[in-house]
Amino acid sequence: MNKIHAMTEPLQASLQYAYTLTEDSDNYGNPVLWLKLEDKRDLLNAARVVANLGGRCVTATAYKTEEGHTLIYHLDIDGILLNIEAYTTDHTIDAITPLLPSADWAEREFREMYGIEPVGHPNNERLFLDESLMKGVLNRYIPLSKMMLGVSESDILWERVEKEKRA
Amino acid sequence: MSERVTIGPFHPELEESVYFKLSANDDKVVTHVDLINGFIHRGMESLVTQKNFMQNLILTERVCSLCSNNHPFAYALAVEKIAGVKVPRRAEALRVVADEVKRAASNLFNLAMLAHLIHHHDLMKETMETRELMQDLKEIIWGNRMDMSANTLTGVKYDLDDEKIDLILKTLETFTPKLASLTEQYEHDEKVVARTVGIGVLPKADALRLGVTGPVARGSGINNDVRVKAPYALYDELKPKVTLRDAGDVHARAMCRLGDITEAVRMIKEVVKNLPEGEIALAKRPHIPAGEATVRVEAPRGELIYYLKTDGTQKPVRMRWKVPTYTNWEALKVMILGSKVSDVTLILNSIDPCISCTER
Repeated sequence: MNKIHAMTEPLQASLQYAYTLTEDSDNYGNPVLWLKLEDKRDLLNAARVVANLGGRCVTATAYKTEEGHTLIYHLDIDGILLNIEAYTTDHTIDAITPLLPSADWAEREFREMYGIEPVGHPNNERLFLDESLMKGVLNRYIPLSKMMLGVSESDILWERVEKEKRA
Repeated sequence: MSERVTIGPFHPELEESVYFKLSANDDKVVTHVDLINGFIHRGMESLVTQKNFMQNLILTERVCSLCSNNHPFAYALAVEKIAGVKVPRRAEALRVVADEVKRAASNLFNLAMLAHLIHHHDLMKETMETRELMQDLKEIIWGNRMDMSANTLTGVKYDLDDEKIDLILKTLETFTPKLASLTEQYEHDEKVVARTVGIGVLPKADALRLGVTGPVARGSGINNDVRVKAPYALYDELKPKVTLRDAGDVHARAMCRLGDITEAVRMIKEVVKNLPEGEIALAKRPHIPAGEATVRVEAPRGELIYYLKTDGTQKPVRMRWKVPTYTNWEALKVMILGSKVSDVTLILNSIDPCISCTER
């Protein structure tokens, strides 16, 4: 119980805007915390606390909502899972990777799958999808037939192959 | 003079497709590492939202082959959490048995690949032969050498009778001395030691910074095994003893895997000898209301997390999972930099990469 308190106290103290913090557990009694931020600007404050407590980013989930996108960062502090939920309507969120390098891939992935820009992320390179594919592929439905023919909207890939061949 | 070396996307020493662009100096020491992923990205997270909860049980089992049991296991835990059901104790025990058999087989496969990459083929054959005992067990009990299809929502699909328990115990009796001999060889064999000790070192500080998990973390002295930190199923009572090493090299990671297998054998024995009586699954399929859950399990390669969001319909609104290789991957850059070009694939193998899982 004290372990959770040691975590929630600095966390709550760091937040500047409204939030809801709920304590839940899995089916085996392991604590799982859910922190829902009303304002995405609080994300960095929360991430800083997690970094100070020696935590790590497990991964991040993004999904589309009517107004924009919801983002959930799954963080771990010595076995306790902390889920931080934030939402964005302008396709941007402050990157936590500079504070928690373990979030590197997670943030790059939602950038290319949902077109949400992690502002201040140190790595601009694509993670899984080729540069020729548009950002935010999971925002819309792409039929398999089109996928098999290549979702590329330009000749960028072939231009690159040609260029490397000439070099 | 700097030399450009490329390995992949398809290469005899790679199990799966990945692309290394390296720069090396005259001494064949790597001075720059560039890793390119995405060759096996299949958009599975999008696919699962178009299938119902039962269909997804089949789909999650096919994310990957080596940790195929962990995916439906974690997925079932997430669904059960949202549905608010408690799984029968016998089912929990059977889930542990399936998972540990799979863990032993998966880790032995990785060790065999290590032996192959250092061209120690006698040891490779011996490792694969030992693994074959686990493969036979899988085939006899679960009917398949890779996809065991052990888990279902609210329980398991298979049961063990006295004859099968006897078979497991007899197999483990043959397995144990072979494992002891392998542990001895991987620890002390001249060829293994010469090629793995001090190779691909991941210092503890980097391991913490990058958030690595599983044997990669344990090889660098960090214990974040989910079975210990947030125990599920029967692991709270079984109390797995994890092997920790401080060296952070290829050898340390291999030894952590061997330690995991020894523990797997102990736990399987303990569980099947005291198998709880009762049902193997709930008779009635539960209603899955709107909700969200995050659950974690320990796969052979480390922490596996599932996030599931439902809205009361038969299909998930969003489902996301993160496999151990996803975070262990960045550690490769630390391990490879300053190593010999000839050790690169050996170092890659030492994180036991599962690229199909990672890219989904």
